[in-house]
Amino acid sequence: MKVLAAIVQIINAINRVVGNVFSWLSLAIVLVCFTVVVQRYALATTHLWMQDLYVWLNGAMFTAVAGFALLRNDHVRVDIFYRPATPERKALIDLIGVVFFLMPFVWIVYAYGWNFVSRSWRLYEGSANVGGMPGLFVLKSFILVFAFVIGIQGLSMALRSILVLTRNEHLLPAEYRYENQQETH
Amino acid sequence: MDPVLLGEILSGLMFFGIIGFLMLGFPVAFTLAGVSLMFGLVGMSFGVFDPSNFGALANRYLGFMTNEVLVAVPLFIFMGVMLERSKIAEQLLLTMGKLFGNMRGGLGISVIIVGALLAASTGVVGATVVTMGLISLPAMLRAGYDPKLACGVICASGTLGQIIPPSTVLIFMGDMLAGINAQVQMAKGNFAPTPVSVGDLFAGAILPGLLLVGLYLGWMIFKAIFSPESCPATPVPPEEKKYLAKEVVVALVPPLALIAAVLGSILGGIATPTEAASVGAVGAMVLAALRWRLSFRIVREATVSTATITSMVFIILFGASVFSIVFRLMGGDNLVHEFLSNLPGGVTGAVIVVMAIMFLLGFILDTFEIIFIVIPITAPILLNLGVDPIWLGVIVGVNLQTSFLTPPFGFALFYLRGVAPNNVSTGMIYRGVIPFVLLQIVALAIMFMVPGIATWLPKWIYS
Repeated sequence: MKVLAAIVQIINAINRVVGNVFSWLSLAIVLVCFTVVVQRYALATTHLWMQDLYVWLNGAMFTAVAGFALLRNDHVRVDIFYRPATPERKALIDLIGVVFFLMPFVWIVYAYGWNFVSRSWRLYEGSANVGGMPGLFVLKSFILVFAFVIGIQGLSMALRSILVLTRNEHLLPAEYRYENQQETH
Repeated sequence: MDPVLLGEILSGLMFFGIIGFLMLGFPVAFTLAGVSLMFGLVGMSFGVFDPSNFGALANRYLGFMTNEVLVAVPLFIFMGVMLERSKIAEQLLLTMGKLFGNMRGGLGISVIIVGALLAASTGVVGATVVTMGLISLPAMLRAGYDPKLACGVICASGTLGQIIPPSTVLIFMGDMLAGINAQVQMAKGNFAPTPVSVGDLFAGAILPGLLLVGLYLGWMIFKAIFSPESCPATPVPPEEKKYLAKEVVVALVPPLALIAAVLGSILGGIATPTEAASVGAVGAMVLAALRWRLSFRIVREATVSTATITSMVFIILFGASVFSIVFRLMGGDNLVHEFLSNLPGGVTGAVIVVMAIMFLLGFILDTFEIIFIVIPITAPILLNLGVDPIWLGVIVGVNLQTSFLTPPFGFALFYLRGVAPNNVSTGMIYRGVIPFVLLQIVALAIMFMVPGIATWLPKWIYS
């Protein structure tokens, strides 16, 4: 059981770091897009690669941060029954959800995304726009990054559920226990 | 059994299955995807679904990741979070409260006006309700307001951001309707259709947004006249009103400047919504800096909020894509098509039924989930029947504002519950929003009778 608790902590630490790093892309989107606007309207020039850049940054950001958002319980739940439930019942719902909903979804994204991404890597595919960004294969890879961060966070949720259901929640640090889980809203 | 019929039955069951499974409380995005996959598996075993269709999934996701229009979403969220941190809402509420406090119903009127101003300067719903719940609710209760009226006016005004542009909901809807409209017109043989844009939808939503503000104000005035004890005046001491004129100007300049810069440039056709949103985001940072509220910590918190909220919304879109693939390929589209085309009342009947379904879904789901599920399967049929895409987008927006207000799962109710004092019961909040939900339905009825409210302004601006 201690091993499970350790895995939960490692996964959460990974998604915390990934989430905090990739969150900064939101500021980058603001600054790059604003620069494009200033260049276009004030300086009457434009760099096509920059127009690709802020769009791609958004794609990379929301996929990479998805696991962190799940860790923070930011993904919306219909919580009429979930919110007032006991930690044991919440743990059971989360376990069922991970096994039957989240993991099959991750598997489908991974299974059908793999060829899509690897083909792009073989071509070192760039932007479809003339003069656009190189490295579309990197952006496409974020589909797999999404599957990975959601997959490991799902595993972390499932392990936490097992710890709770076997009355071992005390092995987790306080911040990861159900009593301290922030409400979705 | 006939495979076509079987597929249609399965897709219908899937729709209700998803709603049932959502009640478990597992995150919506993954429940949507997971339940759809389960039904896909069942469909596969009966030979009515071919899983190779999931091959389209990655390309669809890349489409969302490289969509220029949708980048306006994180930009407007960033702007909203930054504005929240610069505390302009607090200042507006306090000064407007002083300005109107001497009138019966004045505090309520100030809440409605501030709600409209904030809605026009940001695209997000939520923070506004919290701020009003913290500042205006205690003030109204102290003044002796009926708590139900106070809660209702806060929930309704705080969610105007949903329909008054710039609105993140309208961005997603504009992007979806643009694609659907192009396909429908193409199929009809119109190879050079008038394109629909997010800008059109923004322009179309302005008058309906003002109509709602007018209805709320009218209700408040009605209450002030016919039930004065529910919203008494609060005498403002003269010494507090000494610098009132200056305070009003200081409080109004920042939101008005942002509204002029962002909405003005979109509606004037100068900038795209995405470009204008980046200007708004930088403008919000400048405002925060002017108020000495721009620190490393605040910027960091704003980036984390922006990234996680954006991720949450887009991942619902990812999950909903799995649903639409399975639903469409099992024949759900035909089912919906047959159903909507054979209703009494023709086109109007079809629109009313879709609106009623969305309204009912609003009791358990929120706007984003509803539009991601319902728009892709119903809008092609409605547009094909000749419904104006801009009008459709705007009435959906007005209709779904109620999803924030209808118990048991209305965001605004949750937000207000979280900050309301304990002597305000949840029941009071629920009962307080009823008149405002009815006003929303009145607004929808008016838009049905006078569609020009939504379609006239975009035509006038872009012609």
